[in-house]
Amino acid sequence: MSVRGFWSVVGVECSKLAAQLKTRVLLASCVAGPFIFAAVIHMQSALPSDTLFGRAVKESGFAIPLVVLGFAALWAFPVLTSVVGGDVFAAEDRYGTWKTLLTRSRSRADVFAGKVATAVGFSLLAVILLAVSSVSAGVMVIGADPLIDLSGILLSPAQALNRVILAWASVLPPALAFTALAVVLSVATRSSAAGIGLPVIAGLTMQLYAFVDGPEVIRRLLITSAFGAWHGLLVEPPYYQPLVHGTIVSGAYFVVCLAIAYSKLRRRDIGG
Amino acid sequence: MTDRPALEAHGVSKRYGTRDAVCEVDLIAQPGEVHGLLGPNGAGKTTLMRVLLGLVERDAGSVHLLGCAFDSTVGPVPDGVAGFVETPAFYPYLSGRRNLELLARLDSNDGSRRAARIDEALEHVGLAAQADVGVGGYSAGMRQRLGIAAALLPSPRLLFLDEPTNSLDPGGARDVRALARRLADEGAAVLLSSHDMAEVEELCTTLTVINRGRVVYAGSVDELTRLAPSAVHALRTNDDRAALDVASRQAGVKVAVESDGSLEVSADLEALDAYVISLGRAGIAIRLLERRARSLESLFFELTGRPDAGEPSLATLHDPSGRAHASPVGL
Repeated sequence: MSVRGFWSVVGVECSKLAAQLKTRVLLASCVAGPFIFAAVIHMQSALPSDTLFGRAVKESGFAIPLVVLGFAALWAFPVLTSVVGGDVFAAEDRYGTWKTLLTRSRSRADVFAGKVATAVGFSLLAVILLAVSSVSAGVMVIGADPLIDLSGILLSPAQALNRVILAWASVLPPALAFTALAVVLSVATRSSAAGIGLPVIAGLTMQLYAFVDGPEVIRRLLITSAFGAWHGLLVEPPYYQPLVHGTIVSGAYFVVCLAIAYSKLRRRDIGG
Repeated sequence: MTDRPALEAHGVSKRYGTRDAVCEVDLIAQPGEVHGLLGPNGAGKTTLMRVLLGLVERDAGSVHLLGCAFDSTVGPVPDGVAGFVETPAFYPYLSGRRNLELLARLDSNDGSRRAARIDEALEHVGLAAQADVGVGGYSAGMRQRLGIAAALLPSPRLLFLDEPTNSLDPGGARDVRALARRLADEGAAVLLSSHDMAEVEELCTTLTVINRGRVVYAGSVDELTRLAPSAVHALRTNDDRAALDVASRQAGVKVAVESDGSLEVSADLEALDAYVISLGRAGIAIRLLERRARSLESLFFELTGRPDAGEPSLATLHDPSGRAHASPVGL
């Protein structure tokens, strides 16, 4: 693999993404969504009380990004992180452009690495945009007031912001694990529908498993478990064990999925 | 620089299940020549091109492109190699120009002249006016032209063209042939896959004929032409029986009665002229004289087998001296 080849593929993939309506709409929703949510909360009298930090959304703007985080972990992250990862390889099958791409002076390793980097970059961008937008919406619409954490301790605005940033940072590893899952499904099935849809179904199935009285070892091996690890950051004293465990599990998913995807792509015969 | 051929493949094989798609194929294309890859549909031409370009992993054999050993599982196609296999495909949501810009970024050549090269390539293939239209709205012929433009971008020294005149109007096909000839004249090697004997005869100096994945002829077009049997013409007269009688006395002319009642005349051009004059002298009016197959086409059918003729019968090939041509491969 060459560094120049890698960056040229990244540049091409980013240009293709920028030209697609779906990616622009998705990123725009990451920016606008939290503002709409905060505005609705601000205007209505009812609170999302059954959600973690739901009771605090009118008292502190820092509760808004945590409520959004709780919701996104359940529903949005598998979608957000699979949209590009699940399509970036399968789209070449859909358009029949593998032969166009692979007859230029770039190796399969360059193409694979460039596409994965683009998918990972998009997932990171989507999560970070959602995080920044949620914090901004909370602060601007509700206010930068102190936040009461899960232990009942009042956190100053600076402390609250710090915890919110850490909480959002903690979901990056599982988000990237979902991206890698989408990538391997995109390569293996050659179908964008499967590449995007199956990680979402897998995410929901993993969430459902949390409600089932199954073996604990399986629960600990699910990517979605890592999405809840941030709870430990909002208690006194904070505990990090789920965070560490979730990061390791997510890292393992990431490496294994990408290794399988690359081995499949490397030896794949490009047909008509 | 290297003295090696632009393209050198030895013993290339590709098997799908129990079927040999390509079997122990040797192929050499030199700089400055258009090398034809000829064969009927399903002969393995496209699979061979895929193997040579690394789109399909070969089971056996070696491939050198521009003097470099090539293995797609290890590295990319070398700089200076370009082309397309089957119908060129592009991103439909981007314009033709934007597609070329992205492909040019993937090439290793100098980026400073990129825009100029794209303009030149679009001009060459007659797409300059439609360059900013989305490829989704292109016709098959326009996509074919865009594929050729994309292949021209890296200043190819080895160019693969898989049936490049498919979907093109006669003017477009003529332009593509002229382009292939010009590139070869400028020193590039062009591997042109086709099932159109006339196109190969017009453009190529050397060719490889494959059938059922195996090479059945490799050599120069001139040599093949020398081996070609007489051209075949369909003939109808006002008195076919008398025309047969005249043919029986005419040197170098063979006439057979076809199932539709017409006569099939096998003769070279000189003998055919003499036969026609003889028919006129005998008071026989010619109502139809139509070429059925060019002489090379006839040989092509011999090499690859007519659809209704079963196995190709290489034993029927004879050179003008009457000696049996034992092995057309590797002439």
